Amino acid sequence: MAKVIVQMTKYTARTFSRTSRECLFNFSAPKVSLHFSRSIANSRSLNAERFYTEKHEWITIEGNIGIIGISNYAQEALGDVVYAQLPDVGSEIEKEAECGALESVKAASELYSPVSGKVIEKNEEVEKIPSLINTSCYEKGWLFKVELNKFDELKGLMNEEAYNEFLKSDPA
Amino acid sequence: MSLINRFMIVVKRKPRYNNFYRVSSYSSSSFNEKQNNPNDSITKSVFISQSTDIFTNLALEDWFYKNQDFTNHHVLLLWRNNPCIVIGRHQNPWIEHNTQLAEKRGIVLVRRNSGGGTVYHDRGNLNLSFFTPRERYNRKYNLEIITRALYREWGVDAEVNKRDDIVVEEKYKISGTAAKLGRPNAYHHCTLLVNVNKTALNLSLEKKENGIETNATTSTRSPIKNLVDINSHIQMDKLITAIGWEYLRTKALVLEDGGQDLIQRQKGFQYINPTEDWFPGLDKLISEFRSWEWNYGKTPKFMVTRVVDVPTEDNKIHRFNLVLEIENGIIEEIKMKLPADLASRDFNEDVSVITNLRGSRYDHEVMENIITAIGCKTVTLNTSQTVDKSNMIATQ
Repeated sequence: MAKVIVQMTKYTARTFSRTSRECLFNFSAPKVSLHFSRSIANSRSLNAERFYTEKHEWITIEGNIGIIGISNYAQEALGDVVYAQLPDVGSEIEKEAECGALESVKAASELYSPVSGKVIEKNEEVEKIPSLINTSCYEKGWLFKVELNKFDELKGLMNEEAYNEFLKSDPA
Repeated sequence: MSLINRFMIVVKRKPRYNNFYRVSSYSSSSFNEKQNNPNDSITKSVFISQSTDIFTNLALEDWFYKNQDFTNHHVLLLWRNNPCIVIGRHQNPWIEHNTQLAEKRGIVLVRRNSGGGTVYHDRGNLNLSFFTPRERYNRKYNLEIITRALYREWGVDAEVNKRDDIVVEEKYKISGTAAKLGRPNAYHHCTLLVNVNKTALNLSLEKKENGIETNATTSTRSPIKNLVDINSHIQMDKLITAIGWEYLRTKALVLEDGGQDLIQRQKGFQYINPTEDWFPGLDKLISEFRSWEWNYGKTPKFMVTRVVDVPTEDNKIHRFNLVLEIENGIIEEIKMKLPADLASRDFNEDVSVITNLRGSRYDHEVMENIITAIGCKTVTLNTSQTVDKSNMIATQ
């Protein structure tokens, strides 16, 4: 699934770059450029590089802010999430320490953060509608945002390609 | 895509248990382990708790989960409790049980760490906790141990359904399941109804509180049966022995009978005395399980709505929705709200009622106290028992 998303992203990016070239030559109408800028915003959020842990959490970084969620593999393994207990805004969390829980099929699975830092936002939509984790684990189903204080912690994480390889090599 | 391929392999290898692998495959490496056959290197123990106090037993379970290394040693912990009601980690106690009746009968309420719904325990119920490292968490395996023991010893035909309940005669539940998954450990625990007081069970779990709106985990109600009603020869001590032996004679990772040879390699049965001396830190866990902050304070955010009629000086009766917003068990907001169909220009949609109850702990009497408090400030007050249907419990 993750691969498909990456491919889709690549193709969209290609289409947009073509559009942009046409724009340059044609001095086209503002309608087109509006469309263009909106698409850029969308594709950027898809393009923001996701890093993964071996325990199937993902993180994207913008500046010193990390957005954290669980991977498609993890959400499929969990099954239907019925309750999301997310860390409180303002709390300090430690890398690989328990910071919340996701409940599915009568199991409470502890939630871990791939990085240390201060929680600056949690996804309240996910608290209201936990199934977003199942239906949109990389977009609407993000879990919380952390202000990073140890950038070194990112070194051990896998990029998309390495994570896909990891999934292949770790038979489950 | 590769995930689907993996499932295909699972289906080919173990057609009967493919469903389990879907649940347990979160970070599993069980296939590798199976190929190297660590079945031989893992030993097993059956621990039997000598306490019948729910707080002590939950603390003991939590202690093992937090402190024990299960890499080469799997444990089945058996425990029983005096009458109590046990709610799931993310549940609302005011929805799940009959507070007044439980208090009157001295039945304690406690929140556990695992997910799932509410259960009633007494000495006629056996609790089984199966401990393994997270990657070997396997509910179907554990439940099969129980059904195999019941069949081997008494010929009872029990099945594991889609919800991981054990049922007899296709619909009567004899066992309910829940689990806690962490790192590095996990446990799956379940109840087993042997000879529980069904009247007490039904009364305790009867819901009285109305008008609670929340996204807390809901309980699923099922018809139940005691094992003694299926076979009168089943007794608690015999059952403990039967399940214990079945657990010990079964290989650690696959449901294969290892017979006497395997039993002799296991660590066997052991009585556990759950005290601070044996389990350093246990007393702290016990007091946490006893605390209001854990049992009530961990309730997911919720709203309670009550419809009240307030007669005014001009003899008109005005119908209000009285709404409490509760977070961490504490009343954060008290509002009076007009139902949408009665909204008029004379009233604001929300009128904050300032009372000294804001910031206090919620319990089943607090709503009545607030109504009385408002009554003191207005003329006379009739409380209405009817509840606006739109504010009924949101079900998942």
